[in-house]
Amino acid sequence: MTSSEPPVLDRLTHRLTECPAEFLAEPRIAGSGRIHVDAVVSDLLVDLGGQPLTVDEARTFQSASSKDRNLLRLVLVATWLMHDDFFCEARNVAAAVQDWLRGGLAELAALVSADQFVGDPDRREELVRLGLAALGLRPAGETPEQAADRLKTLSSVERAALIRETKAQIERARVLRRKMEEEAAREAAARVTRE
Amino acid sequence: MSSSIVPPARRARNPLITEAGYSLLQRITQHPLAPKWNYEVGDRVIAADLQDVELFRAALRAERSPGSIGPPPRIRDWIRSMHDRVTLFGERLAEGFDLERDWAYVPTMNREDIAVRIDKIVPAGVDLTRMIVYDTSGTTGHAIVVPYHPVTMAQNHPLLEYVLSRYGASPKFDHDHVACFNVGAQASTVVFPMVFSVWKQAGFAKVNLHPRCWAEVEQARQFFEDLAPQFITGDPVGFAEMIRWEIPIRPSAMVSTAVALSAGLKARLEASFGCPVIDYYSSTETGPIAYACPDGRGMCILPHDIYVEIVDAEGFPVTEGERGEIAVTGGRNPYLPLLRYRTGDFGRFEKVPGGEAQPRIFDLEAREAVVFRAADGSAVSPVDIGRILRLYPVVMHELVQRGDGSCDLAIRPPAGAAVDEEEIKRRLETLFGAGSSVHVTIDENLGESGKSRPFRSELT
Repeated sequence: MTSSEPPVLDRLTHRLTECPAEFLAEPRIAGSGRIHVDAVVSDLLVDLGGQPLTVDEARTFQSASSKDRNLLRLVLVATWLMHDDFFCEARNVAAAVQDWLRGGLAELAALVSADQFVGDPDRREELVRLGLAALGLRPAGETPEQAADRLKTLSSVERAALIRETKAQIERARVLRRKMEEEAAREAAARVTRE
Repeated sequence: MSSSIVPPARRARNPLITEAGYSLLQRITQHPLAPKWNYEVGDRVIAADLQDVELFRAALRAERSPGSIGPPPRIRDWIRSMHDRVTLFGERLAEGFDLERDWAYVPTMNREDIAVRIDKIVPAGVDLTRMIVYDTSGTTGHAIVVPYHPVTMAQNHPLLEYVLSRYGASPKFDHDHVACFNVGAQASTVVFPMVFSVWKQAGFAKVNLHPRCWAEVEQARQFFEDLAPQFITGDPVGFAEMIRWEIPIRPSAMVSTAVALSAGLKARLEASFGCPVIDYYSSTETGPIAYACPDGRGMCILPHDIYVEIVDAEGFPVTEGERGEIAVTGGRNPYLPLLRYRTGDFGRFEKVPGGEAQPRIFDLEAREAVVFRAADGSAVSPVDIGRILRLYPVVMHELVQRGDGSCDLAIRPPAGAAVDEEEIKRRLETLFGAGSSVHVTIDENLGESGKSRPFRSELT
């Protein structure tokens, strides 16, 4: 990083509110859609001072499956975020950004629609914080602990895990109640004393 | 071990039954003077369980608790091990909670937790395959269903053996002898014969000294005399009937459970049957807790692996000698880990000069022995009433029989649950007989003001 100033959270979340329609357009998948996400990513990496994607690297941002639609859309939104001058002027974040776009968004994309990272304030902040964390940065004025806590609070992945846990608990309670009502369980076992 | 004479249904109930054990079971079952058996049940003990029971038997004698202020380290370790598996523990013990320093602040559990939050108590990941359940009698005001494991039930046998040995009784456990009869006297209950694997196929029977179970009293007398159970367990009501029916046996001991045993009845039983009569303090949720010490001074804590304390209304341990509610912490039942579980019973701790380091329980106020009267004057047991109330989602109840014989029943259903008051009224009036009067009310706050008295009689 050449920039010595920490990133300002509000500026980055505001940038997401201004995400152009092109970055929300349909990604190219199996011949349909018009946005070639691999090309957008490659341009970004150059703008960040890095190298364009190789043919092999580009395949990461191509898909023939509609299951990848939201992930590719989220990558597009994230590229818009990373085009902010703060990152472009930093000059040495291209590799970290590429890693994040390639591997850091899949779990989130499975849980939250890409549109939400533009339209919903909490999701905007979540995406910005995730991006900063991926680059080893934190918002101006925050300690590492504060930044981590805030990200955990916002985390869709964490929230989904909690929901899954709750669902598992409900299922477990159902199994337990059913077991307790089984005839064999109710027959019980002989007791020598009566309590 | 395999035995072709044992029917598959019996083997399913008694996986370890031997041919000799089955022969004894048949002898009891088909005895010409046997009562009308109305239930089949086994011990469900498998080979692997026997080792657990044996280890427990050895530990019980070797690891007598020296007494401690606050829970001993192994109880604290056990709680920590359960923290992430038992939702209720996790909810009530904040991360980083110092069990040793802040024990008095650990929230208590109660019967309501078991009644309405059992899924938060059964540990995550525990194998439910062998779960069995017991309905509590409902004589304590909260009818609950308690999950159990067969090996936990089998581990109660060494506890009973230990107490018998403290009174000099050493029953012979084998397939040639009937170890024990469990005796009650109720309008309706299950009765069955059994053999126990942990007692080397020794015989057992649960019998009911109620006229409808026997053609005549003489039948019961001869049945007892012929099978000669070596010791008797039961409740004071059943024991009183043994005196009235002049049951002609000389057991080595009688163990009284379920409700309070009066000193007067104890003395009469000892005179009638020529054996020690032992007051045994146990509950379905906790298992055995204490027994009357042979020296006649208070009740000794029985299991080595539970922590018993006496607490005030706020859950703070009271000082020695001060009366409070008995609370139990421990986890022998894999389906019901208890964390400062309020038993609903009251007493006080006192150290006995020359006795063990652990204080004994004095002035135990457990379940009161209450007998109601039907319209025709015959006895009605709280157990019979509890059986009816168990049919409904009742969290807690209070039944009072007034001086004129009428009954007032207050019931507290779980939040949002509907209870058919009219149907309960009809069933109870059937139990109490023609001409009886029962008034049923819903009280959603029942029990919140302190200990309730589930059964009370104002009859003189």
